[in-house]
Amino acid sequence: MKVDVQKKVKIIRKAMDSIRKSDKTLHTIAFPRLAEEMDIPFNEITEFFLSIEDIFLNEQKRVNRKIENFLETGLKNAKTANDAKELLETTFLTFIELLPDYSDLVFSASFYLPKCIEERNRVKQYYRQVFRKIIKKGWPGKIDAVLDRQTDLVLLSAYGFYEYCATVGKRERKVILKDFNNMINLHLQDRLFF
Amino acid sequence: MDRSTSNLKEKVVNRAINSLRKDKRIEQISFAAIARELGVGIEEISSFYTSTEDIILEVQKKNWESLHRYWDRHIKKANTPGDFKNAFELFFERFVDTLSKDADLHLELCCYLPKCIKYREKNRQKVKQKFKNLIKRGWPGKDEKVLERQTELVTVLFYGFVDHVVHIPKTERTKILRDFRNMLNLHLQDRKFF
Repeated sequence: MKVDVQKKVKIIRKAMDSIRKSDKTLHTIAFPRLAEEMDIPFNEITEFFLSIEDIFLNEQKRVNRKIENFLETGLKNAKTANDAKELLETTFLTFIELLPDYSDLVFSASFYLPKCIEERNRVKQYYRQVFRKIIKKGWPGKIDAVLDRQTDLVLLSAYGFYEYCATVGKRERKVILKDFNNMINLHLQDRLFF
Repeated sequence: MDRSTSNLKEKVVNRAINSLRKDKRIEQISFAAIARELGVGIEEISSFYTSTEDIILEVQKKNWESLHRYWDRHIKKANTPGDFKNAFELFFERFVDTLSKDADLHLELCCYLPKCIKYREKNRQKVKQKFKNLIKRGWPGKDEKVLERQTELVTVLFYGFVDHVVHIPKTERTKILRDFRNMLNLHLQDRKFF
């Protein structure tokens, strides 16, 4: 890890700790005050971020970028239906492993801070498209209407899963993952759907 | 509370929501401006609410309390597994039917404002407890562990459903509700679960 990346990570962690302790609404936290609470010079933060919103956006994008890369590579390498099925399952595993301890704060910010809302909407569209491709490949033979409806259900389930995982510890995330994957599988195998 | 107070409170909520819809910024909401628009004194508004967060929290509580009352009536009347299944399904139906036109905005604020997040978490536990009771009696014969895990999954999915359904047009909500309920049913009927 490069030195400046280490520094950036340290700033993010400290910022999240301070924000959590302050128990304030995110948009009311003044940036200079945050630097004071974190006990680091103000210009050290502004070297990387210009606002609280920037810190959250950075975190949101960091996880999204990694998942997107994982999905793109996985889709490229998925030759068989089983590969695609495995890709969907491992995506959720990768996702929970990537979520930081403060993901509840990032989740919360994504509902209000404008840039974070924008990113949230963008990535939701992206996931919808990619999930559709994976389902089509992994569970072939579905007509378009069924594919669309099942994709929506998987997408909404994934967002419920995200909300849950953002608020629980790493151990609980892993516990529910197996059940969650089983349930998604069951749903996608459902031949009686419609 | 008399009718005029109740009407005024409703007007205050509507003004605040309209303002949020336009600016998307909580800090832009001014009690003075709302009071001016409604032709009442600012102290009258301050006697009900101390902040915008209070306004949103009250709407959140009011909506959920009403939903719980409806739900409890059906749970109380239920005797057979069929009745309990019905009470389980009616909850989702009622939830979708009673969503306001500003449900998207409400959800975003409820996931962001600290007091609303706390209430949301408390309510989530309450909803989960009711799901557990209904699953136990609507789909009898599950051991405690399975019951716990299936309840957790249903709760996770429900919250994903909430996030999805408030962001789509009213006409599409009913369609996805049907698919969502089918998915839950399939999951709860799954005898191979474990």
